[in-house]
Amino acid sequence: MASLNYDNSDDPRDIELSSLTAIYPEIHQVRPDDPYAIALDIPVTPSKAVVVFFPAPEAQENAGANTNGLNGANAGQVDSHELAHLPSLHLEVAFGPEYPDDQPPKVTLSTTPPWLPAETLRKLEEDAPRLWEEMGRDMVGFTYIDHVQQSAEDVFGLAGGSGGLQVDPQHKIAILDYDIKARQAAFDRETFECGVCLDPKKGAVCHRMLDCGHVFCVECLKDCYNKAIEEGDLAAVRCLEPSCAKKRQKTCDSGKKRKRPRTYISPSELLQIPLESAMVKRYVTLKYKNELESDKNTIYCPRSWCNGAARSKKHRKPEGLELAEASDDEDEAEESNVGPDGKPKPFEAKDRLAICEDCSFAFCSRCLQSWHGEFFLCVPPEKKEQLTAEELASAEYIRLHSTPCPTCAVPAQKTHGCNHMICFRCNTHFCYLCSAWLDPMNPYRHFNVQPNGKVTSCYNRLWELEGGDGEGVGYGFDEGFRGDAPLVEVEEAEAEDAELDQMIQGDEPAPQAPEPPREEAPPRGGLVAGQVDIAREGPLVLRIAANQPARGGGHGDAQGHAAVQPARGGNQHVAGGHEGHGGGGRGQAPGGGGRGAGNRAAGRGRGGGPHRQNNQRNQAGQGRRRNNNINNQNNGNAGPQDVEVEGGGLDAAQQAWIRQFVQLALNDEEDGDDFDIPV
Amino acid sequence: MASQKRIAKELADCTTNPPAGMSISLANDSDVHKWHVVLDGPPDSVYAGGKFGIIVSLPSEYPFKAPVVTFATRIYHPNITNDSLGNICLSILKPENWKPASRLLAVLEAVRALLIEPQPDDPLEGRIADEYRRERKEFEKNAKTYVTRYAKGPVKFDVLAAAAAAAPASNTSS
Repeated sequence: MASLNYDNSDDPRDIELSSLTAIYPEIHQVRPDDPYAIALDIPVTPSKAVVVFFPAPEAQENAGANTNGLNGANAGQVDSHELAHLPSLHLEVAFGPEYPDDQPPKVTLSTTPPWLPAETLRKLEEDAPRLWEEMGRDMVGFTYIDHVQQSAEDVFGLAGGSGGLQVDPQHKIAILDYDIKARQAAFDRETFECGVCLDPKKGAVCHRMLDCGHVFCVECLKDCYNKAIEEGDLAAVRCLEPSCAKKRQKTCDSGKKRKRPRTYISPSELLQIPLESAMVKRYVTLKYKNELESDKNTIYCPRSWCNGAARSKKHRKPEGLELAEASDDEDEAEESNVGPDGKPKPFEAKDRLAICEDCSFAFCSRCLQSWHGEFFLCVPPEKKEQLTAEELASAEYIRLHSTPCPTCAVPAQKTHGCNHMICFRCNTHFCYLCSAWLDPMNPYRHFNVQPNGKVTSCYNRLWELEGGDGEGVGYGFDEGFRGDAPLVEVEEAEAEDAELDQMIQGDEPAPQAPEPPREEAPPRGGLVAGQVDIAREGPLVLRIAANQPARGGGHGDAQGHAAVQPARGGNQHVAGGHEGHGGGGRGQAPGGGGRGAGNRAAGRGRGGGPHRQNNQRNQAGQGRRRNNNINNQNNGNAGPQDVEVEGGGLDAAQQAWIRQFVQLALNDEEDGDDFDIPV
Repeated sequence: MASQKRIAKELADCTTNPPAGMSISLANDSDVHKWHVVLDGPPDSVYAGGKFGIIVSLPSEYPFKAPVVTFATRIYHPNITNDSLGNICLSILKPENWKPASRLLAVLEAVRALLIEPQPDDPLEGRIADEYRRERKEFEKNAKTYVTRYAKGPVKFDVLAAAAAAAPASNTSS
């Protein structure tokens, strides 16, 4: 910039320029060789923030058609910003040699970027000669500059009216940028009293909170937030003004936009303050962790070296320093397993798939094993040590008197009807006996001859347990005991009748005692104490086999039994059909009344079908029953008695063997059975 | 230290322009972290005529941590423990509500407001709160009895502090 010195001359231009430079010290010379061409930037700072529209390109074509630019119709499709500072107007004035007497000053106006319409600029430029004429061809410099400044107050008439100012969208970034910088500059010049240190501070060392606009000095903010983040007190990372959150809560309530006001500070704002990025990183990590921990539905990676959280739609792992916006609709999230109509959402098998955020391990959220696909029945890892006796009894009851759905594992209890079940929760069709998934198109095939000519272990067993399963139903029901475990009602599918006993015979490969005649099968109900009645058979064994694959025996308690009798063990691995009869058999003990209330559910003898079974099966039943009565005083001799009663057709050697076995089984169970309930 | 500077400012504010019915001093001139406030029972309340000693302890992290306010004078009030501790339940002082820009002036005003209007729904003394709600007459009688018994005469701050002050004095005399 050339030094301006107009003092030593009689030229009227010198006189005018010397006073102008005194008024506007920022005036500078355009060219070094011409002292009478000056330039000046006039800030465009409307007295009231002006709404600036940036119409989308196509919208602008329309706007171009009706030259007035914006009207209400396309206001909706453009983005608008309220700006307090617009890029300044660059004014160049050349005072020619004939000025002021015979020539008006030559005025050139421009903006960078060219956001002002050419039309407006031209009009403003024309004002110079007009004013010069009006003044009687006198020195017009100050008058004109003042005129331009005043016109800038309402953005040269463009901001007046209802529409606001319309600007070509290609200048948007530059204009917004200018506004931000100008605001910042204005802010920096201001003085604020920081509410924390109570010192007046220049805006340059202060930070205006982005959400609420409260101003604090950077030093105090850093002090406070660093301390809070270090201590993990994330709640303290918020605006420091006492009533701030409350006020925003109020405005939010009236606005109803957000359910909860956002009171925490975004990581990017913390960086702006500026906090150390390591500190912000810690903030982001802690925030994410807190969020996960406060959500009881969070699933953690089962790998002990990882323990990361599984991916979830609700909480996304923050990337870098950016905190993923937690879903706003937290209420919805809280009742995530309830559908919009208040009914539980249908269970979806694929929801069980969880993938660890940290190590990408894909696992099942129910059994916490590596992912096994949707059509696999799994059970949650046992947490027995945390259960009370009552809970254990309940679990035992569920284990004995229900069948898990193969898809969602919800325990289902049949109240009556056939063994074709439809899960109330996920609508899966399944077999009540073996928990097998059934084709909804043809569910009964499972109980019939298969297309390949083979039969399943549930062949012809559609109507087993027709009267239902549980304490109050079925053959094995003992009046003295009612199950108080939670029961789950299951839809019942209709089916044709099936013959039960044929199945048993056809299924029975064991070479031992002859099948008792069918007539011996007791009538349903009306049991005489001491008489052994038919009870449910297959299903019990099967589900135990499914639940506890580790157990060798079909019947949970028959471990020792299985070991002693390899022949039997050989049968067991098949779908479980025949162990069903053996293991599931249970004696209706004469001393049934002696069962303690403490082990009600578990202690209930599973009545076997000894009349129809060979003696091995009988033993299993005995063993089981006895185990259940292990704390029972009748225990010691109940089994052998039963054996005698039931094994009436056996020869002495066999009976002796049975007794020996039972004794073995007893000892074994007493030592090793972890299913017994402490009373 | 930013903390001390702020406390000094607040103290200057409070002493030059004390809040209604209060006089404020430091417990010990060298320590700005402990204030002694004498509060006159608000005229229209049951505590009128009494003088109550209030101890304000400012933690070293102040103003990032809330001050601790206790009554040194026994008082019969649902929100102030009826014992020698004189703990007070004031929402502005709870850690989750405390904001660094909150001022002690506001805290003291809140304490005074609590004497004018107890908050029986958030009580420290459930029995007194019940009495306040159900048998206002009885409550007023009891509160006034407490005023006459404890809040008349010169205010004594903190028995322990008094004992501590007395101990060295006896040492020097002996």
